[in-house]
Amino acid sequence: MSVESVLFYLFGTILVASALGVITARNPVHGVLLLVLAFFTAAVLWLLLQAEFLAIVLVLVYVGAVMVLFLFVVMMLDVNVARIREGYAKYLPLGIVIALVMAAQIVIVVGAQAFGLEFFPRPEALPADHSNTRALGLLLYTHYVYPFELAAVILLVAIVAAITLTLRHREGTRTQDVSRQVRVKRADRVRLVKMDSDKGEQP
Amino acid sequence: MIGLSHYLVLSGVLFSIAVAGIFLNRKNVIVLLMCIELMLLAVNTNFIAFSAFLHDLSGQVFVFFILTVAAAEAAIGLAILVVLFRNRASINVEDMGDMKG
Amino acid sequence: MTELWNSIPAWLQYAVLIAPLMVTLTIVVAMYTLAERRVIGAMQTRIGPNRVGPFGLFQPFADVFKLFFKEVLIPTQANRVLFLIAPLLALVPAFAAWAVLPFDAGVVLADVNAGLLYILALTSMTVYGVIIAGWASNSKYALLGAMRSAAQIVAYEIAMGFALVGVLMAAGSLNLGAIVDAQVGPFWHWYWLPLLPMFLIYFISGVAETNRAPFDVAEGESEIVAGFHVEYSGATFAAFFLAEYMNMILISFLAALLFLGGWHPLAFGIDAVDEVLALVPGTLWLFAKAGFFMFCFLWFRATFPRYRYDQIMRLGWKVFIPITIVWIFVEGFLIYMGWGPWWQ
Repeated sequence: MSVESVLFYLFGTILVASALGVITARNPVHGVLLLVLAFFTAAVLWLLLQAEFLAIVLVLVYVGAVMVLFLFVVMMLDVNVARIREGYAKYLPLGIVIALVMAAQIVIVVGAQAFGLEFFPRPEALPADHSNTRALGLLLYTHYVYPFELAAVILLVAIVAAITLTLRHREGTRTQDVSRQVRVKRADRVRLVKMDSDKGEQP
Repeated sequence: MIGLSHYLVLSGVLFSIAVAGIFLNRKNVIVLLMCIELMLLAVNTNFIAFSAFLHDLSGQVFVFFILTVAAAEAAIGLAILVVLFRNRASINVEDMGDMKG
Repeated sequence: MTELWNSIPAWLQYAVLIAPLMVTLTIVVAMYTLAERRVIGAMQTRIGPNRVGPFGLFQPFADVFKLFFKEVLIPTQANRVLFLIAPLLALVPAFAAWAVLPFDAGVVLADVNAGLLYILALTSMTVYGVIIAGWASNSKYALLGAMRSAAQIVAYEIAMGFALVGVLMAAGSLNLGAIVDAQVGPFWHWYWLPLLPMFLIYFISGVAETNRAPFDVAEGESEIVAGFHVEYSGATFAAFFLAEYMNMILISFLAALLFLGGWHPLAFGIDAVDEVLALVPGTLWLFAKAGFFMFCFLWFRATFPRYRYDQIMRLGWKVFIPITIVWIFVEGFLIYMGWGPWWQ
């Protein structure tokens, strides 16, 4: 077996195992961590396919940011695990049957008899100075520039939506208003009181 | 040797697992979101495998856009989840059937 | 010699190269902890550790032996597996990031095209060690520290990423060696000057990313005891410690490579002076520049009071990110106009 086959089967097994772990994990935090593992192994498989930019971006964006968000939310929510898992055993047979049927159908369609090596030969290794990032950038900023800008708008909408959904002004909290702090004048804070020294109240 | 079909079968299996996950964890919004992420991962792996074997970078550009949209989806999904939990103190799908006629 | 080298398999070559790098790094970390205590001691007119060995040089080794002979306590209610994995998750990315870091022209373990992206991806992984440690400890203080750290790292990673976008726009490459070579020339050709806002934001974000003072609310020993690693002891604590210092050194080296011209000698544009300065080997220049930043880490800790948490978040989201975005546009304009001496 070549090195590539070993790597493919090793990481493919880890990927499938961690995906199974995600859907069966009793504790949601374990589920999220296994999903992180799944993303990481998928990134390795993408590297095998010479898609280095997307593999690194997957780690950077998904593992480094999106999954941290998931983990953050899961840890902060006090989830009642017992209640949420009702019906798990009930739907287990149905789920397994449907998954098996689906997997079988997919394998029949995309198996080696239609997508094997004789139809799609291995891509030859790219030269060492080939930059996947540069190639992708050239395509993205010329041919796909309008979709690219649309994607940027989608992200902007997502930012605004996420903030407006979760932002709330609670009564009674004392938040710092920097601009008010900066604007403050001496007259707002200091009050000079004139009084005779000997006529003050005696203790 | 690893051919295109290997990658396609792997991502097919991954997709099926994610579908099974949606059946099994139909009460738990968080796991549902995670299963959607798994599906997108399977689809992306497909795109990249095709892109590599067909010598066409367009597949990778598509993955780039899917990643963007999926990140936005995850952010908004989690924001909704947080708001729901704040109002209902639960992430059970059954507690969210108020609109049912 | 070369024949012998070429005759051994590639994985063994890498192993032979990686092992000394890791050992050296660990020793540098040990010396850095000593330097921290001595430097901060001097700044606070104390003496600092000076008993073990000459000038206290063996103090870090004494500390390491003490830590390794202590018992690793695992709280009964803790999640055992995750509790023990967390220190490893903190340590592995801290080591792995060094693979693409060049120490001189061509002296690099893996000369990859997307080196800068790789480093960004790995530094974004360090947050997992902290979060998992905080959650698995099953302690309120640890969880608080982990949550603070997670939000803080995600916030500053964006500012850091944008600052690095500025660098790669100027250099036109993601390869660290190519970025350094794009800065060749007198010291005003280095990117610290044309990218001054990026440079400052990068370094300050680096301090925040590594959870160092004045952004050390994740530990915050006066409010939440020791934050995410409050339950850790012995070797597991040492792993967190090692990872933190390793990341500090990594940030320092990156700052030296990306903004201070890496291994290029200091040059003033005067031939007589420059020739003398160029006699010093490039690696030494790189270490001197990185050493300056490493000193800054200690200096900050001795000088600044700790930020309040909401101030940290405000600084990251409302100050740094807008500044970097604006400067990316300014830089794009400058590159478009081709204004020298930086953007020919």
